[in-house]
Amino acid sequence: VEPNATIREIRLMFHKLYPRWYPARQSIKLDPKGKSLRDEEILQYLPVGTTATLYFKDLGPQIGWTTVFLIEYTGPLFIYFLFYFRMTLVYGLDERFTSSPHPVVNLACICHSFHYIKRLIETVFVHRFSRGTMPLRKIVKNCLYYWGFAAWLAYYINHPLYTPPSYGKKQINFAVIMFLLCEAGNFSIHVALSDLRRNGSKTRKIPYPTKNPFTWLFFFVSCPNYTYEVGTWISFTIMTQCVPVGLFTLLCFIQMTIWAKDKHCTYLREFKDYPSHRMPIIPFLL
Amino acid sequence: MAAGGCAASRADNGYGGQQGRCRRGPGALATGYLVIYNVVMTAGWLVIAVGLVRAYLAKGSYHSLYYSIEKPLKFFQTGALLEVGIVPSSVVLTAFQVMSRVFLTWAVTHSVKEVQTEDSVLLFVVAWTITEIIRYSFYTFSLLNHLPYLIKWARYTLFIVLYPMGVSGELLTIYAALPFVRQSGLYSISLPNKYNFSFDYYTFLILVMISYIPIFPQLYFHMLHQRRKVLSHTEEHRKSE
Repeated sequence: VEPNATIREIRLMFHKLYPRWYPARQSIKLDPKGKSLRDEEILQYLPVGTTATLYFKDLGPQIGWTTVFLIEYTGPLFIYFLFYFRMTLVYGLDERFTSSPHPVVNLACICHSFHYIKRLIETVFVHRFSRGTMPLRKIVKNCLYYWGFAAWLAYYINHPLYTPPSYGKKQINFAVIMFLLCEAGNFSIHVALSDLRRNGSKTRKIPYPTKNPFTWLFFFVSCPNYTYEVGTWISFTIMTQCVPVGLFTLLCFIQMTIWAKDKHCTYLREFKDYPSHRMPIIPFLL
Repeated sequence: MAAGGCAASRADNGYGGQQGRCRRGPGALATGYLVIYNVVMTAGWLVIAVGLVRAYLAKGSYHSLYYSIEKPLKFFQTGALLEVGIVPSSVVLTAFQVMSRVFLTWAVTHSVKEVQTEDSVLLFVVAWTITEIIRYSFYTFSLLNHLPYLIKWARYTLFIVLYPMGVSGELLTIYAALPFVRQSGLYSISLPNKYNFSFDYYTFLILVMISYIPIFPQLYFHMLHQRRKVLSHTEEHRKSE
């Protein structure tokens, strides 16, 4: 192997020798307990002598992030329809294909579908992933979670015995406006983040507020996309006044707070000049 | 789940004492609190054990002994909530075990009065009592860096019988509670309601029972594995002395 070979080239060579282990599945390290080496690293700049010993670990079958997201988000979209249109087995034979007398049920279907269609569009056109793949096993767990919850909350919203919100039109209208604002905000942030990596680079940069007012949340928060996402789900909870939706919102909040804190710590570690007053997910608080 | 107790996540006593593993243990004050906690819990479960024996001798039969130890059982089993995250086992394992015990104590035995006279209750109470006395004294002695082999042996051996015994008692009790839950609609809410939520406690209990099937073997084999690690390690240690 040439001294100026990159890890990426080594991975390709390894793959030729062992066709079973394609590059994304290889974890190559200098030390068995150490971190995996990145593709861009060049052999001669690594702390090795005239001969280098590299350790290989099989990460298991991998699946691309884009594929993952497509599968994870298409599921809830169609599962919700199963309940909305009251397919045969869902609410019993008497209720099949009936529709609800409450306009808010139709509205909820539109919002839920809009949310997932938006996510699918972003996955294809907007997101730029720093890591190409994830382990195949994780996708089963993730799908169970997203699809299961979608089924559970769709069941109650579209149930024949569904009760509309207690404060009627005021509550629903407020929720719809909040929903639209949060979706717009979330989209703006995703676009802003993707612009940071415009030329296909994988390096991280500090995100800053742009002319778009929705991105001004970057003044206060490291991960405003998560903030807006939680806002979307809170508005959906208010719109439907449904406990399972509330529970899902709570779990989303907890999960996103964990992700936001992680991201925030990574930013703080990588950038010495990172704005110190920013919080991970909730301005001034969390 | 019942009698297995929390397996220590390290092969030694878990507090980093005897095998000389270099680990920053808790400070003196924290150790003091831990010792007091474990001593109190050992004493508490001894009280329950003594209460059971006395009631048995007084009544002449082993039926309906639950009432004689109801209050200390509730107190000390619920008190175990304090040890989540404190005890040397993994937080997830401890939390899970304590939650399942508290669930059985309050959400089943306390809530469904008709099962309190069942013999299955005695089955798991005895299993828990013996397990907890051994487990808490194990922690106490470990903290004081003077762990008698007998206690270590007991902790990692008696579970072989006590764990299935406790699980049987728990499952039989839940099963006995089912018809009464169905009849009274306990802890259940049905549609329509303004929160758009429904919950059937009867179905929930059945799901809990089913969950024992994957969970119990895993915990049991984990304990068996720990047993081999701990007891063979001690054998080597002794041989080398």
